[in-house]
Amino acid sequence: MTAALSFQNLTLGYDRTPAVRDLDCEIASGSLTAIVGPNGAGKSTLLKGVVGSLPPLQGRVSYGPVKPSEIAYLPQHADIDSGFPLTVVDMISMGLWREIGPFGSIGRAERRRVADAIAAVGMTGLEARPIGTLSGGQMQRMLFARLLLQEARVVLLDEPFAAVDSGTLADLLNIIRRWHEEKRTVLAVLHDHDTVRAHFPETMMLARDLVAYGQTAEVLTPENQFRARQMCEACAGPPHTCIRGAA
Amino acid sequence: MSTRRDFLKYSAATIGMTTVPFTAAMAAETMPVVATFSILGDMVARIGGDHVAVTTLIGPNGDTHVYQPTPADARSVSDAKLLVVNGLGFEGWLDRLIDASEFDGQRVVATDGIELLAFEEGGHDDHHGGHKEKAHGDEDHADHDHDHEEHAEHAEKHAEHDHDHEEHAEHDHDGEEHADAHGHDHHDHGEFDPHGWQSLKNAQVYARNIAAALAAADPAHAAAYEANLAAYLTELAAVDAEIRKILTALPEDRRTIITSHDAFQYFGRDYGLTFVAPQGLSTESEASAKDVAHLIERIRDEKVAAVFVENVADRRLLEQIARETGAGIGGTLYPGALSEADGPASTYIDMMRHNASTLAAALSS
Amino acid sequence: MIWDLLFEPFAAYGFMRRALVGCIAIAVGATPVGVFLMLRRMSLTGDAMAHAILPGAAIGYLIAGLSLTAMTIGGMIAGMAVALFSGFVSRATHLKEDASLASFYLISLAAGVLIVSVRGSNVDLMNVLFGTVLALDDAALILLCAISSMTVLILAAMFRPLVLECVDPQFLRSVSGFSALTHFTFLALAVMNLVGGFHALGTLMIVGIMILPAAASRFWARSVGGMIAVAVIVAIGASIAGLLLSYHYSLPTGPAIILSTGVVYLLSVIGGPVGGLSERNARTANTPT
Repeated sequence: MTAALSFQNLTLGYDRTPAVRDLDCEIASGSLTAIVGPNGAGKSTLLKGVVGSLPPLQGRVSYGPVKPSEIAYLPQHADIDSGFPLTVVDMISMGLWREIGPFGSIGRAERRRVADAIAAVGMTGLEARPIGTLSGGQMQRMLFARLLLQEARVVLLDEPFAAVDSGTLADLLNIIRRWHEEKRTVLAVLHDHDTVRAHFPETMMLARDLVAYGQTAEVLTPENQFRARQMCEACAGPPHTCIRGAA
Repeated sequence: MSTRRDFLKYSAATIGMTTVPFTAAMAAETMPVVATFSILGDMVARIGGDHVAVTTLIGPNGDTHVYQPTPADARSVSDAKLLVVNGLGFEGWLDRLIDASEFDGQRVVATDGIELLAFEEGGHDDHHGGHKEKAHGDEDHADHDHDHEEHAEHAEKHAEHDHDHEEHAEHDHDGEEHADAHGHDHHDHGEFDPHGWQSLKNAQVYARNIAAALAAADPAHAAAYEANLAAYLTELAAVDAEIRKILTALPEDRRTIITSHDAFQYFGRDYGLTFVAPQGLSTESEASAKDVAHLIERIRDEKVAAVFVENVADRRLLEQIARETGAGIGGTLYPGALSEADGPASTYIDMMRHNASTLAAALSS
Repeated sequence: MIWDLLFEPFAAYGFMRRALVGCIAIAVGATPVGVFLMLRRMSLTGDAMAHAILPGAAIGYLIAGLSLTAMTIGGMIAGMAVALFSGFVSRATHLKEDASLASFYLISLAAGVLIVSVRGSNVDLMNVLFGTVLALDDAALILLCAISSMTVLILAAMFRPLVLECVDPQFLRSVSGFSALTHFTFLALAVMNLVGGFHALGTLMIVGIMILPAAASRFWARSVGGMIAVAVIVAIGASIAGLLLSYHYSLPTGPAIILSTGVVYLLSVIGGPVGGLSERNARTANTPT
């Protein structure tokens, strides 16, 4: 199986303080992977490194056959100005950017796809609502619809289920499953291990360093979780006190 | 040409007075005098000659209405023995500057004793009718003072002003009280047009006031000041006659002029011209559409011959009016500041000549 | 009667017609830029850039006198320099953009006042600050119209990236390289309109006609397009009202225009149907709690 992404000696961080260190692994094309780990383990940092908004301090990310424009990214706190006078349908249509660009027009086929995406996230009927009036769950549904339209080969999700109700969670998980069936590569930072066990075949556990990566059942063991917590506690102090492989 | 002859006649008494006094090597012997703006500075330099060192706060082409004093100005004022001001509210910032600089010398108000004109435009015509017959030149001055007293009876404000003037004479040697007396004077700014120097007759009063103040502050050189004054007065009278000759020759229907700065009322009174300004009396106010529309009406109704652009106000507005009415743009008049030394109006007398010939050229064409 | 009140001033006087054309040009060009400035929470940035233009225009004035071209070029250069430098400082250091912009604007404002005061007479500075909407000559009108036409065309072309840059800049960066281009083109448009408008209304007033109609439009429209339409109409209406007030009541023209937009803004705050005070009160009264 080809790798959609591979990390070679990847070190990422802010102000020269590493948040992810010496990561060396490959993400298989078409895999559905959860990224777990304690707070401050570098999970969000890793996604930023993949989309290129954070240049590596060391090492590199290789994309294989995937072009950077084919990576879609949903940040944890989307930097969205919800006061902006934009409707749900306009916002979702922006997912077509890669096809229509800044000037292209939205034809009948595109409108059809937008309507389908809206239906897929269960927002039919809310198209004309200003984005500022949406609840947290509705906002997340809208952003998933936009991701759907992006038709990306790699989808990166950072805590996509934070602050959503159970109905929304089920709908969004359905979409993720659909992406997986369409052989898209999905990487999602998650906290809830039950959700991970139920829906994500593979898991990467991070605690600045890679703790474990593989089949979910083999990664989410109490031993690994204990190790990860310990490593992160060791890392909580100044960087030089953190000894590699503290366990 | 009588001007030239008079000038030559008195040149013996005025040797050196045209050189600017900063160049005088014996700085210790010269009296430091501060004049608020360039025209007064020029007059003080003429009358003071070598015996004074003049500092002018607002130099060539500066606008006194919107001037902001600098610390260097405050220092000049505090070093000065004599401060020459125009008065009539022209230097609105003056009291602040004097307070700031702790000036303890004497202050002379150059407009003391001139025939005042109120601000309104309506007064023009009445005034110049009466004044035109008056003789001019030196002999007129005895009359002039008399006339002034008569005039004083007409307006209460004016009478007060005159009273101050007398106090001024009494307290000439007492700087503090003198300053106090004049402190009150400044409350009535806005009543009278302060641009008194635009009349050569007023300029003679200015010159006398300045000479008297110089002599009082520096009695040792009183004789020199007196001689310089006499020469200057003769020259002023000659220039007055010269300008009158040029301007009285103009036809009756070509005597209305538009300028961007309402500073020429005294000039208009002396020579029978009417000046209209789009921006009101001060460059501080922004013109309204109504003002501009009225002015355009007036230009059309009165067949104004020329619109004049001055050295201190916004020429774009005048160009717009000229475009709209078809009146020509007449050239540059100097209302309240001299030009740079290489310009056409580097001294007060040159300025008056320049204004007159510029007006004559535009109005007679 | 109505004719005398509303139309006669424009029919009788060329300067009124010129002022009107100039104001309409400014309304069409500057107001949409103002809408985006407001939506990007950059209203004060517009103010800062307007002041930053002063030293550039002052230098242009010193080189070539009261020349439209020199002052325009000088103002453009200074405005862009301040916008770019403050953007650079906020990206390269931890200072936020508003703080670095404020710093640059204070520096350049002081520099402008200094240059004009030292080299020119102060009255020129007054004229530059206040502008002369009643004295627009052909060159100034052509400049204003050219700027507003360019602005409308460029805004139409970059409407989508601009909206996205406002609402979700992270997403725009992830899908296209247009982010930086959009940002700087927009800044250039803002500076261009400020420079054009400052010939007519001066540096202080141009920001008013940029921002106030935009702010008022928020209370009337729910979409960006609707807001731009409302803002342009408000700006044109207030310009006409301001000119007529100035004509009939002898008020200075620039302030009369800006105060007219200000009145529209206040009325919108109170009575606007989209989130205005009265509408909010009505809604809270009707909503069972």
